[in-house]
Amino acid sequence: MENLDYARLQMAFTLGFHIIFACIGMVMPFFMVVSHKKWLNTRKPIYLKLTKAWQRGVAIFFVTGAVSGTALSFELGMLWPEFMKHAGPVIGMPFSLEGAAFFVEAIALGFYLYGWKKLPETFHWITGIIVGISGVISGILVVSANAWMNSPTGFDVVNGAYVNIDPVKAFLNDAWFTQALHMTLAAFAATGFAVAGLHAIQILRNKRPDLHKAAFKIAIVFGAVAALLQPISGDLSAKDVAQRQPVKLAAMEAHYETQKGAPLYIGGIVDAENKTVSNKLEIPKALSFLAFGDFDAEVKGLNDFPEEDLPPVPVVHYAFQAMVGIGSLLMLAALIYFISLKKKSWLNNKKYWWLFAILTPLGFVAVEAGWVVTEVGRQPWIVYNIMRTSEAVTPMPGLKFSFYLYVTVYAILAAMVTWLMHRQIKVLNNSIG
Amino acid sequence: MLYVVLFFTFFSLFLYVLLGGADFGAGIVELFSSRENKELNKLTVYKVMGPVWEANHIWLIILIVILWIAFPVYFNIIIIYLHIPLTLVLLGITMRGVAFIFRHYDAVIDGTQVWYNRMFRISSLITPIFLGMSFGALVSGKIVVTDDYSNTTFAEIFMYPWLNTFTVLTGLFYAALCTFLASTLLIGETEGDIRKMYSQKSAIFTVVLVLVGGAVLFYGYWYDLVFIKEFLQNKISLIAIALSALLLIPLWFAITKQKRVQTRIYAGLQILLVIFAAVHTHFPRLIITSTSEVNMLENTAPESVMYVLGISLIIGGGIILPGLFHLMKSFNMIRIPSRSGKHTAED
Repeated sequence: MENLDYARLQMAFTLGFHIIFACIGMVMPFFMVVSHKKWLNTRKPIYLKLTKAWQRGVAIFFVTGAVSGTALSFELGMLWPEFMKHAGPVIGMPFSLEGAAFFVEAIALGFYLYGWKKLPETFHWITGIIVGISGVISGILVVSANAWMNSPTGFDVVNGAYVNIDPVKAFLNDAWFTQALHMTLAAFAATGFAVAGLHAIQILRNKRPDLHKAAFKIAIVFGAVAALLQPISGDLSAKDVAQRQPVKLAAMEAHYETQKGAPLYIGGIVDAENKTVSNKLEIPKALSFLAFGDFDAEVKGLNDFPEEDLPPVPVVHYAFQAMVGIGSLLMLAALIYFISLKKKSWLNNKKYWWLFAILTPLGFVAVEAGWVVTEVGRQPWIVYNIMRTSEAVTPMPGLKFSFYLYVTVYAILAAMVTWLMHRQIKVLNNSIG
Repeated sequence: MLYVVLFFTFFSLFLYVLLGGADFGAGIVELFSSRENKELNKLTVYKVMGPVWEANHIWLIILIVILWIAFPVYFNIIIIYLHIPLTLVLLGITMRGVAFIFRHYDAVIDGTQVWYNRMFRISSLITPIFLGMSFGALVSGKIVVTDDYSNTTFAEIFMYPWLNTFTVLTGLFYAALCTFLASTLLIGETEGDIRKMYSQKSAIFTVVLVLVGGAVLFYGYWYDLVFIKEFLQNKISLIAIALSALLLIPLWFAITKQKRVQTRIYAGLQILLVIFAAVHTHFPRLIITSTSEVNMLENTAPESVMYVLGISLIIGGGIILPGLFHLMKSFNMIRIPSRSGKHTAED
């Protein structure tokens, strides 16, 4: 592999790592404040216990997210100096606002974590809400910077220089809203199902079921609502991609031939050399409808784009299938949860808890798959149709070593955080009261 | 707007050097303490800096973001040619951050604490050294900016410029500065024996700081480093350094009289004077490469970008600074653990 490949792998790996921690750090504070509010309202000790346990989770994930985010803010420049040299000023606005939002989050978290019994109760609780809100705002701002890479606006390229920069226009680019909406909902769905799933596992093990059922209920409501809303946002995203990045849409669907009334492929094995897809399930005219809202609309196929502008089709297609598949599964589980509110007998059925236990990691698999679709689907461009990834990479050789270093360090970190969470749950289960 | 942006650039730099520095220093103090004092220091640092330590490090992100938005060409040189030391800084920041949170938020307190503590202390020492080396490399005149990679070796471009005697000295200087800051800050937060310990550390590291600082200047003068030579010939810079040395006297009195606010003001002023002295001589040509001096104010981002950035910084600053101030104020009243103080996982 070349230097460029290692740079891309390192970026993918560190982003993939950061996304999980950032999502949890952004959504868990909401679970925490709901539990905290229940404690303030009911004074039932299990809610206090739960709030404190989640608070530790928030602290650990926030810091891991923060340090991996700090690393990323440097890595953008270290791996892609030419990209940052030109694009840095253009997408500076969301990043500088993100810095501010992140700062507010850190300040509010300082108040929250250390404010027990020291701050007035309501004020203390509100600082927890500020942690959550500023976290979500940070996420939206970062995603809007990424959206600019998919939908670059707010500047002109003259002799290789980026001139006439309008940072506000670049910030509010065509893709920012659909991408930010999709990611925010995804964060809530993935974290909601992951946290609910972990507590479902404890319920199955019959450890402190009172406590874990209370926890499950808070987390699943966030996850289920987000999972039910996600298809609407997904539809907006698909139509947006169809308009702006037809080649990405074609790769997502492994759609090679330009066609009117194009069918939607579900599953399938992509043969990139022969440009065919086998073993797929075909829904006639569905792709045309989903992409353009018209059953007979023409969808441009991969064969009609220049070879050098094509992303790696199989990766994008499989990732897209994984994302949509898991999304549908979570939506179904969300429905099951809401029905179980009426049919209380389900709660005594082990299969019910098994379902949520199995879904634990899947939301995050979908989040990662979604980012693969966005990022790999944009290749070979780092800024769509403006700058190629190969033009942006650092001239420093030997990125291989940097890549292995990051993989080692982050793998150890991930193992440690998992182990810490395991210990938290153990302590919680053995607690009295 | 350029001036607003410049103000926030140096403001973030100053706060990062001061607050982030004190934070690193606290870990270094712990590294060089007796076993019993290590534990006491751990409790003190948790109580004093716990609420703000994460905020302290965000100044670095703000600084980096301002650099890449407003001074892209300048940032480009830093980020390409200091790739390796900055990677090591990041590694240190990561290790330190997670070690801090692990040792205070692990639900079970057992033997693993030993490892968290080691990780925390060692990364607290290593990170500021590499950071200081990176600062040193920028002004050392040894960075080779080139497009021609075929006639040079990897080491010539990506290793020697930041890995030499001068940068090692600047790295040690910054680490010493951090330790001095931390021990000075913590004197005001403690009582009794532990307070004595911080006073001693503060005194020791004041001496170390002056010695290493002297070595940096001497080395630079002896080997004709432009940055140091001009620094030593610039009256205003010398006056600033002399003033910061003079401030040691009132600082010392403030320490012995337990004036918490005054010690911090003096220590802060000293850092301000040191940064001012270092920056003043050469501003805006703050990167000195082997062939040229790179002007920070040339090739800045266009006015439209500066305008939006300036407004963002003013609004962000308007929200952040009062919040941060209130945070620091709120937790200043925290009881400081005495020797019998017990750390529980519940808090």
